[in-house]
Amino acid sequence: MNNDLLTLAPLITVVVGAIAVLVSDMITPNRNHAPVAVALAALGATAALLINQGGSSASALGGSYVAGPFVAFIGLLGISIVAITLLIAPAYLAARKYPTAELSATLLFALAGAILLGAATDLVTLFVGLELMVIPGYVLAGYAKRDPLSTEGAVKYFLLGSFSSAILLFGIVVLWGVAGTASLSGIATALASGKANAGLAVALALITTGSAFKIAAVPFHYWTPDAYQGSPTPITGYLSVGPKVGAFVLLIKLFVIALAPLAALWIPVMVVLAAATMTLGNLVALTQSNVKRMLAYSSIAHTGYLMVGIVAAGAGEAAGIAGVLFYAAAYAFMNLGAFAFLTALQGRPGATTQLSDLAGLGRKHPRMAILAAIFLLSLTGIPPTAGFFAKTYVILAAVQAGGPATILAVIAVLNAAIAAFYYLRVIVYLFMRDPAEPAVQVAEGPMLRAGLLIAAIGTVALGLAPTPIIEAVIQALAK
Amino acid sequence: MSQIAGHLEPYLVLSGMLFAIGSFGFLARRNAISMLMSIELMLNAVNLAALAFGAFIPSLAGQGAAFALLIIAVAAAEATVGLAIVIAIFRNRKTPLVDEYDTMRQ
Repeated sequence: MNNDLLTLAPLITVVVGAIAVLVSDMITPNRNHAPVAVALAALGATAALLINQGGSSASALGGSYVAGPFVAFIGLLGISIVAITLLIAPAYLAARKYPTAELSATLLFALAGAILLGAATDLVTLFVGLELMVIPGYVLAGYAKRDPLSTEGAVKYFLLGSFSSAILLFGIVVLWGVAGTASLSGIATALASGKANAGLAVALALITTGSAFKIAAVPFHYWTPDAYQGSPTPITGYLSVGPKVGAFVLLIKLFVIALAPLAALWIPVMVVLAAATMTLGNLVALTQSNVKRMLAYSSIAHTGYLMVGIVAAGAGEAAGIAGVLFYAAAYAFMNLGAFAFLTALQGRPGATTQLSDLAGLGRKHPRMAILAAIFLLSLTGIPPTAGFFAKTYVILAAVQAGGPATILAVIAVLNAAIAAFYYLRVIVYLFMRDPAEPAVQVAEGPMLRAGLLIAAIGTVALGLAPTPIIEAVIQALAK
Repeated sequence: MSQIAGHLEPYLVLSGMLFAIGSFGFLARRNAISMLMSIELMLNAVNLAALAFGAFIPSLAGQGAAFALLIIAVAAAEATVGLAIVIAIFRNRKTPLVDEYDTMRQ
């Protein structure tokens, strides 16, 4: 029992931290910075506990929660995402008279879900972790409750999110019944011994559909652009990386671990979905004049690149998972950075994020524009940024895996070229156009600047020194 | 162990039918509250399947009820958040019909 509590310490710390945030807000209401400070302290404590557990393989809850390097990696990535969001959001929310306490607590609850998802070794824990991570996301999407766009995005996100959860859950329950065990590795063993039947086919179809909704793969992506465009900008940043990274952890655990013996069945489906996701995401992003909506479509394209790594991993190439995890880390920093930049441009309520609003920003606010250029170059995949190595690792893994994955690698490279057009167009507006007439008011502040800087450091550091991270990831997977 | 009479298959067929009705309701209804109710029906179909597997498959004996209880808890959390969101948008738009939530369509 004592050991259980020690193993669960990071999870407990996050939840206690979330409750402490709410209590601190009750004691000193309307202080915008106190809840954020409490939340950041909880994040620091959790990070320390996770690093401390990095080498162990202790289990808790009857073996359904296993601590170790994989959880440490996912947890630390989640902590970075939540910390950057907490740094960039307060100024934006304060200008629109929305509180920060609820944001801090909700983000911490979602982080608890992500940690549980990373540590889960059975279907039940996996599902509870997933829901604990996504339900706070619905709340966050509707955070600006007096703004019709925010609530509209939230309602679409919620309805399609819970519909897909129900489909995924039905698939999980059927898989659990057919395999006769909830344990992920137990399912792989049961399936390998050849118990193929109609139930398994139903389970596979439902799980694939449900997961495709969760990662926003084409043709199950309809909720994404509206949910992302409607949400308050810093929250869109979080929604585009946090739940996405979590959903890919789910994919790794369900497909690459539990359903590995059925790889021959799901790889062709995943290849088609990935190709469609990359291509459609990029083509529609090309036509967007609103940068926020453009980034929403580009996040769909990034889902496609991440799926390339899943396909490679399914085909037996261990570097595929490492590629997915490295991509997830790189994507988290660069995409959150791009949204932090948009947040800075929207210091004034009602400020839009049209491409024309960005014109000439490089002259008036050179530092801000240079940071934006770093994030955009990384999203494009230009060396020596994180995005370049992320794409390289997943594509390389796909080439090594061979078979249908090779075709996918070619499609991914072609797509990277399409994506370059719309990312670089933003840079052209920033540096080579005359400034917009009513000049955009850029918000500055120590917290916003810190958030931008952390995202930039992450993007550049993962690009300049990718080897230690990728080695850490491979080590984490070996255990 | 089996406290439910009969065979596993009829329960799964019933569960599948309930799930299909729920999915149809979600796709066919245009009222946000009806869609939420359809999702609840789908989750209850899943609960029935979980209980049936737990009752009839020896290696899962006793796990079915635990799984179903967790699903009920998750469904309750989802319904709470969902109703709150629907109330928030109703205050902004004065309509529960999702067809009319189309400000961002391009």
